[in-house]
Amino acid sequence: MTRLYILAFISLLSCTFCLGCSNPKVTSSSFTTVDATIVTNIAYISEFSVTCESGKAGNLYAEVEGNISPVSIVGNNRYQVSWTEEAKTAKSGDRVIRLFDEDGYTTYKKASRSKEDTQNVPALVNVVLSHPGAYNGPWLKSEFIATILSLLVAYIAVSSRAKVLS
Amino acid sequence: MSKGQSKGFTKEEELLLQDFSRNVSTKSSALFYGNALIVSAVPIWLFWRIHIIDLYSSLILFTVVTAVSTYLLAMAYRNTKFTLKHKIAVKREEAVTRDLSKKLADDKKMSKKEKDERILWKKNEVADFEATTFAIFYNNALFLAIVIIASFYLLQSFTPAVNYTLSIGTTAGLLALLSTGSQ
Repeated sequence: MTRLYILAFISLLSCTFCLGCSNPKVTSSSFTTVDATIVTNIAYISEFSVTCESGKAGNLYAEVEGNISPVSIVGNNRYQVSWTEEAKTAKSGDRVIRLFDEDGYTTYKKASRSKEDTQNVPALVNVVLSHPGAYNGPWLKSEFIATILSLLVAYIAVSSRAKVLS
Repeated sequence: MSKGQSKGFTKEEELLLQDFSRNVSTKSSALFYGNALIVSAVPIWLFWRIHIIDLYSSLILFTVVTAVSTYLLAMAYRNTKFTLKHKIAVKREEAVTRDLSKKLADDKKMSKKEKDERILWKKNEVADFEATTFAIFYNNALFLAIVIIASFYLLQSFTPAVNYTLSIGTTAGLLALLSTGSQ
């Protein structure tokens, strides 16, 4: 019986080691909405693959500015994080996505519950998503320019009429 | 004109009558109606491509509004021309007289009366041309400016068909009404 317990313990220990991802390397590609003239929300999509020196990354969790959620697995060792933001409030520049494995997620949740600073929880790896800013249309709308120009011509017409009538 | 002749007006009286008449020549009338039609039809493009009104299903609306607007604009042109013509004639009188007198100075055969008649005729022609072109420019400029403001800002919340009818109809009506004033 004691042998059986030892065997179970050893197998559990070995499995824990095999699951943990050590020295992860990330290669990522990203997409963000750059034309916001006909949309109300900006989409941020980051797709990345994680390669570990040993072990496997398994399920991952992503944290972006205080919001944490599970990462979608889209292929063999490929992951995807996506979210949307209102076009008016979406900031341009680099956004850091902090990735956690199961253990990191548990630690993060624990810190969050006990109202500790979650930024101190070490992430498995960070992915940077760069948003160059979205085009919101021209500064001056075409109808505004048309109105100004037509008013200018109308002003010339009215003033020259007044000149003739004077 | 024929009426005038039958009553025995002199050429000078006829010219004077023409000067103060509200009637326009056929050529002027054609010019007015042609221009009014073009200017009234131009906003169709705006409502078709920008305000996305279906061209074929609203063909009757477009035709009716354009026809009404053409009539009202032509009336505005006519009235504006009438208001301006005499003022322009007064303003150009000196220059026309000087110019024509210089040209006719060598002609010894022409009597003074004939020279005066020629000057009067030329003055009438210059004033007529200037008043016609200016009336077209003035009303077109105001028409397009008011239509743009009305359709994009004032009547923005209405459906495109209502927006079109109101903006074109009221603008043409307003211009016709304003043109009836003497100032």
